[in-house]
Amino acid sequence: MNRQEFQDYLRKKIMILDGATGTELQKLGMPNNVCPQQWVLEHPESIIKIQRNYIQAGSNAVYTCTFGGNRLKLDEYGLGNQVIEINRKLALLSREAVGHEHFVVGDLAPTGQFAAPLGTLSFEELVDIYKEQVKGLLSGGVDFFVIETMMDIQEARAALLAVKESCDLPVCVSMTFNEDGRTLTGTDPVTALITLQSLGADAVGCNCSTGPEAMLEVLYSMSKYASVPLLAKPNAGLPKLIDNKTIYNMDAETFGKYIPSFIDLGVCLIGGCCGTSPEYIAQISKQTTGKKPIPPVNRKISAVTSSRKTVFIGSGNPLTIVGERINPTGKKKLQESLKNNDMDEIFDLALEQIDNGAEILDVNVGMPGIDEKETMLQVVETLIGSAAAPLCLDSSSPEVIEAALRIYPGRALINSISAESKKLHKLLPVAAKYGAMFILLPLNDEGIPETANERIKVIHEVYSKAQDYGFSKEDFVVDGLVMTVSSDQKAASETLRTIDWCSDEFGCNTIIGLSNISFGLPERSWINTAFLAMAISRGLTMAIANPSVDLLMNIKMACDVLTGRDKYGRRYIEHFSQSDFLHKNESNNNLPVKPVTEQIYDAVVKGNKDGMIPLIKSAMEQNIQPGKIVDTLLIPAITKVGDLYEQKKYYLPQLILSAEAMKTAFEYLEPYLRKANADSNDQKVKIVLATVKGDVHDIGKNIVSLMLKNYGFDVYDLGKDVSAETIVNTAKEVGARIIGLSALMTTTMVEMKNVIALAKEKGLDCKFMIGGAVVTERYCQEIGADGYAEDAHQAVKLAKKLSV
Amino acid sequence: MDTGRITYFENIPAEPKMNMILARLGYHKNTTIINSEHQKTLEKSIRLGLGLAKLKGAYGYFNIIEKTNNYITLKNQQTFHSEKLSGLLEHSDAVVLMASTAGKAIVERISEETKNGNAAVALILDSVASQKADAGLDWLMEFINKLLKKEGKTLTRHRFSPGYGDLPLSNQKIIFDLLDLNKLDMELTEKYILVPEKSVLAIAGIERIESYE
Repeated sequence: MNRQEFQDYLRKKIMILDGATGTELQKLGMPNNVCPQQWVLEHPESIIKIQRNYIQAGSNAVYTCTFGGNRLKLDEYGLGNQVIEINRKLALLSREAVGHEHFVVGDLAPTGQFAAPLGTLSFEELVDIYKEQVKGLLSGGVDFFVIETMMDIQEARAALLAVKESCDLPVCVSMTFNEDGRTLTGTDPVTALITLQSLGADAVGCNCSTGPEAMLEVLYSMSKYASVPLLAKPNAGLPKLIDNKTIYNMDAETFGKYIPSFIDLGVCLIGGCCGTSPEYIAQISKQTTGKKPIPPVNRKISAVTSSRKTVFIGSGNPLTIVGERINPTGKKKLQESLKNNDMDEIFDLALEQIDNGAEILDVNVGMPGIDEKETMLQVVETLIGSAAAPLCLDSSSPEVIEAALRIYPGRALINSISAESKKLHKLLPVAAKYGAMFILLPLNDEGIPETANERIKVIHEVYSKAQDYGFSKEDFVVDGLVMTVSSDQKAASETLRTIDWCSDEFGCNTIIGLSNISFGLPERSWINTAFLAMAISRGLTMAIANPSVDLLMNIKMACDVLTGRDKYGRRYIEHFSQSDFLHKNESNNNLPVKPVTEQIYDAVVKGNKDGMIPLIKSAMEQNIQPGKIVDTLLIPAITKVGDLYEQKKYYLPQLILSAEAMKTAFEYLEPYLRKANADSNDQKVKIVLATVKGDVHDIGKNIVSLMLKNYGFDVYDLGKDVSAETIVNTAKEVGARIIGLSALMTTTMVEMKNVIALAKEKGLDCKFMIGGAVVTERYCQEIGADGYAEDAHQAVKLAKKLSV
Repeated sequence: MDTGRITYFENIPAEPKMNMILARLGYHKNTTIINSEHQKTLEKSIRLGLGLAKLKGAYGYFNIIEKTNNYITLKNQQTFHSEKLSGLLEHSDAVVLMASTAGKAIVERISEETKNGNAAVALILDSVASQKADAGLDWLMEFINKLLKKEGKTLTRHRFSPGYGDLPLSNQKIIFDLLDLNKLDMELTEKYILVPEKSVLAIAGIERIESYE
C-alpha cells in the first residue's frame, strides 16, 4: 500500500484497527515475567487466534505484536541481537493470521529511554534503533507502519524519520496524553499534531491515555488543525482498583456509544487499546456501519512549535516577537560563554526574553573561534530542555541549519532561505524534509535588491521553487529587508512597500529584523519603535527585536489593539493592569508621609529590609533612642508578624522576610545598644544551635537561628554535621542556657540522645530543645529533652519558656 | 521482568505542583494574604528554583524471589524488612526501584542565599527542590506505568520510601547500590543520607491488570 492508496482508502472508508494484545495474550496463558515477543514466537497459535478474532469482530488491520520489539526492549530479555529476525517472524505471523485481504501494520513503540537532553541516548542512536526494527518489519511484509503510545515527541520524531528514511510506506503516529492533556514530556495535542504532520506523518492521533470520553477532547483540539486523517485507540475507560485488583471497567457497549463522536471529529482509523477485546471491536464495527469518513479540515495555518508550545503567526494574531538576543555579535559575555561551552548565559537570555514577551527565540551562534555546528547543537539542546518557546534557527550555513533541524523536537523557523543558489537548492529540500517554516529573504546572487519591485521578483522566484517541494504561502514568512535609514532614507519606504505588497496582494506573512533600521543613529529605540508601528500598520506579522525594550513592547501591544489583533484589548488590559506602571503611579500620589516610627514598624511587618537602615538613621536623627526603637517598634512589629503567622494570614517566607528586616535593623543598632547597655546587668540568654552529627539538612535550623536572634537571644550557630563533643564543649565555654538540636532523618535524630547524655556526663547545666521533620514530642520525652518545637515560631516561644 | 538494566534520565521534564510548593511554605488558600511585592519575590524565586533544579532519575525492574508478611527478597538476595511494604506488594512478583534528584546546583544556591541573608528566598528554593524531586518520582511512575499497561501490567497505586513507616532508612543503601546512583553524581552518607540532599528513592510493585468480566 503506498501513501496515495492509503489516503484514497481513508477518503472512502473508515479503517477499523484491532484492540488490546497484552491482556488477550495473558488470557491465553502468557505468564507475567516473560518477553511477550518471545512467548508469542514460542506460541504462534496464540497471536493467530487473537488477530483472527479481531478480524472476525470487524478489524480491517492488525498491529504486529512488536510493541517491545526494538533493540532496547528486547535487550531486557537478552534478545537484543535478534531484532530483525524477531520482527520479521512476528510480521509474518500476523500475515498468516489475517491474509492479504486485511492490513498488517508494523508496530513501533517506546524504547523506554529518551534522547538527550532528557535521556542518555543521542538522537541518531534512537533513529538507528528504530531503523533496525523497521528493517525486520519490512522484511516481514507489513502494509504500513504505526508509531504508537508515544510519550515523547522527540522519540516519535526519531521513529517517524526512521520509517521515512527506510521506505515509502504510509506511517501513522499515535501519541499518548496524560489527564492534564499533555504527553509525559509536556507536549499538547495541537503541538504534537502540527509537528508530526509537518514532518510527514500520514495520520496522527492518540492511543492508550484515557477512556473514550477524555480522548474525544484531545481529538477535538487536533481536528481543528489537521491536514491528515486522525487515528484513535482509546482504553476501556480508566483502570480502577476493585477488590484490590486493577481493572478497566467500561463495558463494550458503553465503549461503543462513544464511537460516532470520534467519526464526527474526522477520525478515520479507530480501534481499542488497554482493556479492550474483540467484543469492543465488534461495537466499533456496529457503530461505524454505513458511516463515511470525514476528511481533515486541512485549514492552512502558519505555525511553529517547540516540544511544549505552538505559536500561530499572522491571520489576525498579535504581532509575534522573535527575541534577537541569542546572537554573539557585539556581546562579549555571550562570546566568552560560547567559547567555554558555558550554557548559563544562553539559559538566562532565553528566560529573560520569554519573560519580556518574546514568543519565538532566534538562535545565532556564528562567531570566529568556535565550531558553529557543534555549538548550535549544544545551544539547541540547552534550550529545548529549558525554554518552552519555539526556535528560529539562524545561520548562514545550510549544514548548521540541517543539523539543528534534525534534533529540534518541533516545527522550527529557518532564518533564512534566499534566492542565492547555494542556499536555495540546499535548504529547500531540507526544510521540506523536516517540515520547517522558513523566512524568505528576497535577495539573490546579485545582492540585495534596492526597490520593493525587485524584491517582489525574487519572492516569486523562491516561491515557485518552494512549491515544487510542497510548500504553500503559509509555510514561509517574507523578510521585508530592513536597511539602515541613516545611509539611505528611502530604505524604510521600500521595506514598507514590500510588506504592503505581501499583506495586500500576495497574501503571506512578513517579518523584519527591526534594529537594522536605526544603525548609526543616536537614541535608536525611538526610530526602531516608530518604524515598527509603521510596519504593523502595513500588515507586518513578525519582528525580530529585543523584547527587553519597554517602549517597543508597549507600542507593539498598543498597535495590536489598534489593528484589531488583540481581541477586546484583552492582552493589553491584562499586561498593563499587572505592570509596574500602576505601582509607579501609586508611589507618585500625594498621600501624607507617615511618621518614621510607623514606617519602621511597617517595614518589619511587610518584610522590607532594603528600606530599613535609612529609616533607623532617620529615627535616631529625631533623637529616638535605640532601646526605644527595639522595645516599642521592632519587637511589637515582629510579634504582630508572629500573630499573623499563627493565624495563617502570613506564610513562612513572609515570617522570614520580616525576620530579615528586623535583623537588618538589629545589626545597625547593635553597637549603640551595646554602648547603652554597658552599665546595665542585662545579659542576653545564650543558645547553642546545631544540626547533629551525620546530618546535612540545616535550613530549618538556620531559620530558627534567625528568629531567635531577633528576639534578643545570643545565638551560637555551629552549623551542620556537628559532633556531640563540639556542641557540649561550646555550650560549656560560652555558658549557654539552652542547646537547640536539629535533625531531619531517623538515622541522625538518635544523635540528639548522645548529645544530651554527654552534656549530663560533663555536668552541663542547660536545657535542651529539639526539632526537625522526623522529631516528635514523644521522642523529645523519650530522650530527656526539655522541649520540642514544630517550627521556628514555636522555637522562639519554647526558648522564651526555657530561659525563665 | 528482571532485566538487570538500569535506565537513567538526565533531564526529567517533570514540573512540581504549585499548590504543593506553597503548602510546604505554610500557605493557606483563602487565608494567607500575600502583597504584590511578596508575590513578586515568590514568583521570581520559584522561577529561579525551577531553572536551577535539574531533575535526574533512574529506575530498574527487579524480581521478587521470596515474599512473606514481613519481608520481601529480591533476586540478588537483597531483603527489605517491612510489613507495610509486604502488604503493598501483595499482588506483585516484581518491583521497580526508582530514584530522583534535583541536583547539586539548587542545594548550593540554597546555602548561598542563606549565607547572604536571603533566608526567605532560600526557603522557597528549598520547597521547589523538594517538590521537584517528588515530581520526578511521580513522572517516573507515570512513564513506567504507560510501558507496563500495554503488557497488561501496572504499578501499585502507591510507592514506598525508606525512612517511612516500618521501612528503616538504612534500606536506602540497597536501592542506591542496585541503581548504581553514583552515575547520577549522587552519594549516600554512612547515616544513609542522600547527597545532594534534595533526592528521593522509592519502591513500587508491578502487578497484573485484570480483564473486565
